[in-house]
Amino acid sequence: MEHHGGVNKTPIISLDHVSKTYLSVHKTNEVVRDVSLDVQENEFVVLFGPGQCGKTTLINLIAGLQLPTSGEVKVDGKTVTAPGPDRGVVYQTTALFPFCTVMGNVEFGPKSRGVPKKQRRERAQYFIDLVGLQGFEKSFPNRLSGGMRQRVGIARAYANDPKVMLMDEPFGHLDAQTRYMMEEELEKIWQKEKRTVVFVTNNSEEAVYLADRIIILTNTPTRIKHEIKVDLPRPRVYSDPAFLEIRRQIEEICDDTL
Amino acid sequence: MNEYAIQKRKERIKFTIVSVISLCVFFGVWYVCTAVLHLKPDYVLPSPVQVVEAFIQKLTQTNPDGATLFGHIAASLQVALTGYLLGAIVGVPLGIAMAWFRRIDLFVTPLFDLIRPVPTIAWIPLMILWFGIGLGAKAAIIFVSAFVPCVINAYAGIKQTKPVHLWVAQTFGASRREMLFTVAIPTALPLIFTGLRISLGTAWMTLCAAEMLASNKGLGYMIQLNRSLARADLIVVAMLTIGLIGTIFTVGLNALEKKFVKGGRRG
Amino acid sequence: MKKKRFDPEKTIYAVVAIACFFVLWWFLTTFTPVKNTTPDPIAVLKLLFESFYTPIGSKVITGHLLVSLRRVLVGFGVATVLGIILGIAMGTSKWASAIFKPIFELLRPIPPIAWISLVILFFGIGETSKYILCGIGAFTNVTLNAYTGAQNVDPELVGCARMLGTSERDIFFRVVLPSCTPQIFAGMQVALSTSWMAVLAAEMVGAQEGCGWMIQRGSDTLNITLVMVGMIVIGLVGMLLATLMRAIERRLCSWNIMEG
Repeated sequence: MEHHGGVNKTPIISLDHVSKTYLSVHKTNEVVRDVSLDVQENEFVVLFGPGQCGKTTLINLIAGLQLPTSGEVKVDGKTVTAPGPDRGVVYQTTALFPFCTVMGNVEFGPKSRGVPKKQRRERAQYFIDLVGLQGFEKSFPNRLSGGMRQRVGIARAYANDPKVMLMDEPFGHLDAQTRYMMEEELEKIWQKEKRTVVFVTNNSEEAVYLADRIIILTNTPTRIKHEIKVDLPRPRVYSDPAFLEIRRQIEEICDDTL
Repeated sequence: MNEYAIQKRKERIKFTIVSVISLCVFFGVWYVCTAVLHLKPDYVLPSPVQVVEAFIQKLTQTNPDGATLFGHIAASLQVALTGYLLGAIVGVPLGIAMAWFRRIDLFVTPLFDLIRPVPTIAWIPLMILWFGIGLGAKAAIIFVSAFVPCVINAYAGIKQTKPVHLWVAQTFGASRREMLFTVAIPTALPLIFTGLRISLGTAWMTLCAAEMLASNKGLGYMIQLNRSLARADLIVVAMLTIGLIGTIFTVGLNALEKKFVKGGRRG
Repeated sequence: MKKKRFDPEKTIYAVVAIACFFVLWWFLTTFTPVKNTTPDPIAVLKLLFESFYTPIGSKVITGHLLVSLRRVLVGFGVATVLGIILGIAMGTSKWASAIFKPIFELLRPIPPIAWISLVILFFGIGETSKYILCGIGAFTNVTLNAYTGAQNVDPELVGCARMLGTSERDIFFRVVLPSCTPQIFAGMQVALSTSWMAVLAAEMVGAQEGCGWMIQRGSDTLNITLVMVGMIVIGLVGMLLATLMRAIERRLCSWNIMEG
């Protein structure tokens, strides 16, 4: 589970001139245009972009839920052709299985891969505890609040032990206060269980708080516009002048588009 | 048109062809089993050709059940529509009143719950004893069958009015009466239509039963009498006619609903 | 689900309403010409109690009930299994839908009761034809609901399961099937009451025992009291069946009950 990687090792995720065009009956819709991106092991990369850009499409391309029209997506050196357990996804809508309890959701992945019951229970319990949901193991998702559901989503993705975590605006539906709390929690979890994370957001504060590197995207068709490294020590402080400076930079870059 | 559209279209054509083939196979197997192999005697299972022949004959002939196909259809429609319309006219307002006025709700709901679990078919013997086997008894049976779903759905429809909407109306100074007509009933309309659709289905089904047990005309009677005459071809004709008219009813009601229910059906 | 609270006003109104109903019934059947055709409530209750030990036809009332119930449950059970299989197949596979949907749509609008004559000619008036009629009543409802249920499975959940490395077979059993259960249950509830209706009709048209036969016998012998007793029993059993289904549903689909 522990990886010791320098920055110069082969990237764990690499997008090589990836484009995606949707075809529908009435029109063709170019969503992603020629995106190339390398993500290093255990790096926290945030894709930052305006509302209706192809961020979700990028995540789906890495996830293998969609295939690129041209170009290539590689995860851990292998070309992505289908979804697989080496990549875990946390959805904005949580996509919890409504008919499974919290425990059932978290152990869904390990169970699918045939992990024996005792082991997968232990593992699931570890992550349920990690996201702070002990005591809710037997609850169904319809009894949980938005923040709690998202915690289950995160625990479920982690419990499957993916190499790469893909998070598609996971806190987009939450209220501001819960959002701050979840950002803090995610940061803590990530420090404890280091993974490569690709995180999508349209909130610059969230981006700066979490990212090692922020990729700023343009409107559709999405291209990479700019890259910002964030070297602030963690945990970061929202009111730190350096923090605010980076936010200002991001907003400046985004304003250019308009 | 782009690649995707062409591909979609190809797929649609492919599956339409599969559907057509499937229907052909269905009729083909039916034909082979009856007309070629004679697995069952004709009076038990007619071949599709015999059914079509019987249908054409029945358009003009009154033999052997005393009326042409249209005669039976007219008789059935008369009974069904009389009972159904009465059921809807009484049932929908009653459902609305039960949901809107607390006292009516408290008083009528227990009575309604008392008769609701009795399936409409079980009313047939009672209605026959009370009203004889004329139009009255059958219309009364259809009435009961249409009435119950109308009440239930109108009631549920009004009850799902959101208090927020009523509060909005109140702040605009609407009277309670105005609130009923401008907020509650429009909210309930989709469910009222669901009730009308369900009750039409039940009414049409109950009609068959009623006509089988007490009638001398109508599609249900046609099914029943031709069994004793061992004319399975005519039975199938009657069944298909019943199915067809039921479909026409559903389609018609859906069209009506589209016209009346604005803003679409909500979940 | 709100818990039912005891509401004294409601209870009082209910008692008064039902009392009024019986008093009115009693009044009409004692003092008005209605008494020539309709028995008073006491006569009906009396016959209801008697029927538990005095046979009607070949059996006492519980015997008839059991006969009808067995017919319903056999037909309903078999049809439910078949309906779920066909419905989910049509909902998940374009091929199955293309093949079976036209035939299904052709036969669906024919009410189960309209099948009675043909089924009797085919299978005689024995038990088989009763099972089949109950089955037809249940089959269309279950199939239709399983079909819509399977069609409306959230694609995001399926994608999510794929991401977690679930095999296609597991996706069917662990995602598609549980997703459809509430819809299937809704279908089964309607199906059970349709079956209950179908068995009555079948028994009224041709049988020697069962609840439907009982009320038809009452009708043939101009015995309204017996008809009413039959209706009461039929209503009670129908209610019982519905309650039972709801209880099972609450057990199996508790995750689907919305908050509030």
